[in-house]
Amino acid sequence: MTRMELSHGTLDLMILQTLKWGPQHGHGIGQAIRASSQDAFQVEHGTLYPALHRLERRGWLAAQWKVSEANRRARYYRLTPTGKKQLLEEQAKWRALVHAVAQTMKPVRG
Amino acid sequence: MWPIFGGRKRETELDEELQAHIDIEATRLEAEGLSKEEAASRVRQTFGSRALVAEQTRDSWGLRWLNGVRQDLEYAFRSGRRAPVFGAAVVLSLALGIGASTLVFSVADTVYLRPLPYPVPGELMFVAMRIFRLEMVLSPDYVAWRKDHSAFVELAAMQFHGGDPAILGDKDPVEVHVTRVSYNFIAALGVPPAMGRNFEQNEELPNGHKAALLTDALWRTHFHSRADIVGRNIALDGVTYQVIGVLPHSFVMPLEVPADILTPLPITPAISHHDRGLATWTVIGRLRPGVTQAQAFANLKLLFAASRADAPEIFRDDASVMIEPLQQRMAGNVRTLLLVLAGAVGCLLMIACANVANLLLARWSARSRELAVRAAIGARRSRIVRQLVTETALYCAAGSAAGMALTALGLRTVVYFAAGSLPRLNEVRTDGRVFVIAIGVSLLTMLLFGLLPAWRAGRVDVQTVLQHAGRPGMSGGYRASRRALVAAEVALSVVLLWGAVLLLQTLWRMQHDHLGFAPEHVMSVSIPLRNTNRANANRKALTEEMLASIRRIPGTMAVSWTECTPLTGGPMGTTFTRSDRPLPKPWDRGDTVAGCAVGPEYFQASGMRLVRGRAFADADYDHPQTLAIVNEALARRYFPGEDPIGHQVDGHQNGGWKTIIGVMADSKNQGLNQPPAPQMFLNDIALSPGSNLAFVVRYVGAEPLFTGAVRASLQATDPGLLANFESLDQAIERMSAGSRFNGMLLGSFAVMAFLMAVVGVYGVLAFAVAQRAPEIGIRMALGAGPMSVQGLVLKEGVALVAIGTALGVAMSLVAGRYLKTLLYDISATDIRTYMAVVFAIAAAAMVAAWIPARRAASLDPTVTLRDS
Repeated sequence: MTRMELSHGTLDLMILQTLKWGPQHGHGIGQAIRASSQDAFQVEHGTLYPALHRLERRGWLAAQWKVSEANRRARYYRLTPTGKKQLLEEQAKWRALVHAVAQTMKPVRG
Repeated sequence: MWPIFGGRKRETELDEELQAHIDIEATRLEAEGLSKEEAASRVRQTFGSRALVAEQTRDSWGLRWLNGVRQDLEYAFRSGRRAPVFGAAVVLSLALGIGASTLVFSVADTVYLRPLPYPVPGELMFVAMRIFRLEMVLSPDYVAWRKDHSAFVELAAMQFHGGDPAILGDKDPVEVHVTRVSYNFIAALGVPPAMGRNFEQNEELPNGHKAALLTDALWRTHFHSRADIVGRNIALDGVTYQVIGVLPHSFVMPLEVPADILTPLPITPAISHHDRGLATWTVIGRLRPGVTQAQAFANLKLLFAASRADAPEIFRDDASVMIEPLQQRMAGNVRTLLLVLAGAVGCLLMIACANVANLLLARWSARSRELAVRAAIGARRSRIVRQLVTETALYCAAGSAAGMALTALGLRTVVYFAAGSLPRLNEVRTDGRVFVIAIGVSLLTMLLFGLLPAWRAGRVDVQTVLQHAGRPGMSGGYRASRRALVAAEVALSVVLLWGAVLLLQTLWRMQHDHLGFAPEHVMSVSIPLRNTNRANANRKALTEEMLASIRRIPGTMAVSWTECTPLTGGPMGTTFTRSDRPLPKPWDRGDTVAGCAVGPEYFQASGMRLVRGRAFADADYDHPQTLAIVNEALARRYFPGEDPIGHQVDGHQNGGWKTIIGVMADSKNQGLNQPPAPQMFLNDIALSPGSNLAFVVRYVGAEPLFTGAVRASLQATDPGLLANFESLDQAIERMSAGSRFNGMLLGSFAVMAFLMAVVGVYGVLAFAVAQRAPEIGIRMALGAGPMSVQGLVLKEGVALVAIGTALGVAMSLVAGRYLKTLLYDISATDIRTYMAVVFAIAAAAMVAAWIPARRAASLDPTVTLRDS
C-alpha cells in the first residue's frame, strides 16, 4: 500500500477524531492514526507535533502531564468542548466533501 | 533568560515531550522483541532530527518571528562564547572606529559647521586688505569704505587683534579685557543690547562721550547683576566711562577676541593716508540681503582701487583686498588640523572596518562546515542567513555601545587637553545627530560585512563542503579579498604611523631643541600698570621700588625689568638701519626688528647666553638707548660675515644711533614653532611707554613658596597691585599645548592602527596555514624541509607587507601637503621618518608572519594527512 502525505486540514481532523476516545500522548496519536489507516498515513513527527501545538493554541485541545502506561511521564492531549464542536463540524464537512468527490469520480456510463 | 518570549519552561517541556515520545517508542520496540540497543538505534532512524522537529514545533507557536530572534540571539551568544577572542576583537575594532569618528565629528561640527550665534550668519564677511603679510584695513580706508552701502548694510571695525587688558575700578581693581569697536559693530552682528542702548556715532569722535557696553558675564560677576548699572560710571585704567548698556547672554565676540567691555573706537572722520599714526583695524561686514560674496568682492575691488590711487606709496604692487565668510575665518587655521584629524580618523575607521570584515570572513569561512551541516539537517537557507545577520547585528550593537562610551570619554579628554588650541570648544557637546551618525556607521558596517558573507554562506553548496570533510574551510574566494584587506590595513597604518611620528618629532623639537635659554626656575611677573596715578613719568622710580621688593625675598638669584621674555620679541621696532648704509625711505618695506628694553641682570635672570661682547652695566643706564645687544639671528641677517660689535644701528627713529656691544644666543622669541626673529636688547627702562611693568626672576626653591613671597612683598610695597605670574616652564607648556594634543591624538590613533594591522597580518597567515595544512603535509611528505615550508608562509607575508607599505608611502606623499603646516623643523618627506616607519611595520609584520610560519614548519605530515 502506498503511503500518503497528509494535508494540514486532514491531519487536524484525524487528530481530533483520535482523541474522541480519550486523552492520548503524541506517540499514541501518531500510532493510532497509522493503525487506523492501516499504515496508509505515515505521520511525520515534524508535522505531528507542530499540529498538536497549533490545535492547542487554537483552544481545541488541552494538554496535561500524566504518567503513561509504560510508566513514563508524557504530555497527554484531550479534546476541549470547542474541540468537540469543531470535530463535529469538520466531520460534516468531510462527509460532504467525500460525497461530492465520490460523485465526480463515478465512472460515466456511456 | 528571555522571559518576554515565553520563557525557558516551554522549551524544556517541548524537549521532554519529544524525549517521552522517543522513550515510549523504544519501549514499544523492545516489547516487540528487539534488544535495547537495536530499539534505540531504530528510534533514532525513524524519529529523524529531533532538533528539526523541535524547531518546526516552535515555529507553530505564536510570536514565531520573535521566537526565531530569541533563538538566534541565544545561538549568537553561545557561538560568541565559543570564540571570545574573535568577539572581543570585532567589538573593540568597531568601538575604536565608531568612537573615534563620532568624536572627531562632534568637534568638527562645533568648530566648523555649526552656524555662528548671530542672525543670518551667512551674511557676515571678514574684509581686509593684504599689506606686509598683514590682513587688516587702514583707518582712512575704513572711514571711506563704510560710506559706501552698495554691497554692505554695515561695515564694522574693531581694534586689530582686539582685547587690551585694562584695570577696572579704583579700589579692589580687577583686570578686564577691553575691545574698542566702531559704533555700528553690535548692529552689524545683529545682537542688540539686552539692557540700555547701543553706541552712537558721535561717541566715536576722539573727544566724544566715553561710553562702555558690558558683557553679560562681567555684569553678573563683577557688578552682581545690579539692575541700575546703566548710566553708572566705571573707571578703566583711571579714565571714567559711562555704562550705556549690557550685552545679551548669548553674545559671542567674533574671531575669538577676548572682551569683557566694549568701548567706541576713536575715529577721526577727516583722517587721510597722509596723517601720521594710521591705525590698522579688523573689519567685519554684513552683506545686503541678496548680494553675493562675489558681488561684494567686485565692489571692494573698486573701493580698494580708489584707496590705492590716493596713496600709491602705501599700496605697492602686491597689496590686495580680500573677503572671506566670517564662519570660515573663525574656523581659520584649525581647518588644516581638522583635515588632518579627519584623514586620520578616516584611516582608523577604514582599518577598523577592514579588520572586522577580515575577522568575519575568516570566521564564516571557518564555520562553513557547521553551516553546511545545519543546512543538511534541514535548516532553511533564509534561516541561516538570518542567523548570521543576527550574530553580526549583536556584535555591531555591542561595538556601537562601546563606541559611544568611548566618544563621551574622548570628548571630555579633548575639551581638557585642547582648551585654547581649538576655537568654540566650550560649545562642544555630543548631540543626537552624532549618535545617529554612529548608528549609521555601524549599520553600514553591518550591511557591508555582515550581509555579504551571510549571502555567500547562504549560497554554500552543502555537497561541496561536506565532500571536503575534515578541512575547516573551502572559501578560496575569500582568500583574495582578505589579503587585499590586510594590504590596505598595512597601507593605512603606514600613513597614520608616519603622520604621528612626524607630529611627535615636531613636539619634541619644539620643547627640547635649542630654546636658547634655561627655562627652569625662571618666573615672569607682569604688572598691568596703566592708570594715571602710576604714570610713566615715575616709571623708573616704580620699577626700582619693585626690583628692591623682589630682591628682598630669599631665593631670588637675579631679577630684571624687561619688555620681553625669551619666548616673546618685545615691542615691534621700526625699519632696521645701519649707520654705514643709506637710510631707507619713509614707508619703505624694509624689515622691522623687535626691540626690548631690559635691565642689567636680564641675561642672568632669563638664563640666556652671551656669545660675544659684554652685557649691560649699571652705568649704561645713565645714557639710555645708546647701546644695543643683538641676537645671532640679527647678526646673521644684517652683518653676514662681519662682526657686529662696534657698529651703529637703528638711528632714524629716536634720533640716536645705538652702538652694538654684544651678541646673544638666539632664543625662540616668536614662539616655539617659529625660527628666532632678529631682536635687539636696549639699555632703557622701556621702549613703549604704555607697556606693562614686567620682570623676570631667577630663583631657587619651590615655586609656590617663591610666588607667594613675591606676591606678599609686592602687596606690602603697593597695596591693591595686580601681578600675574607665569613660569617659563608653564609658558612653554601653554605654547606647546596644541601640538601636544595633535601628537597625542594622532599617536594614539597610530598605535591602534598599528596593532590592528599586525593582528590582521597574523590572522590572515594563521588562517592560511590552517587551511593549507593538508597541502603543507603533502609537501613535507614529499621531502620539503621545515625551512622551505616556513619560507612558503613567510613569502606570502612579505608580499602582503611589501604591497601595503608601498601603497602607504604613496598615500603619505599625498597627505604630506596637508600635514606640512603642522610641522616644525622637519620636512614631511623626512627620509629617516619613512625608514623608521617602514622598518617598524615590516618588523612587526614579520613577527606576526613568523608565528604561523613556524607552526606550519612544525606540522607533522602524518597527522595533517590523516586528518584530511
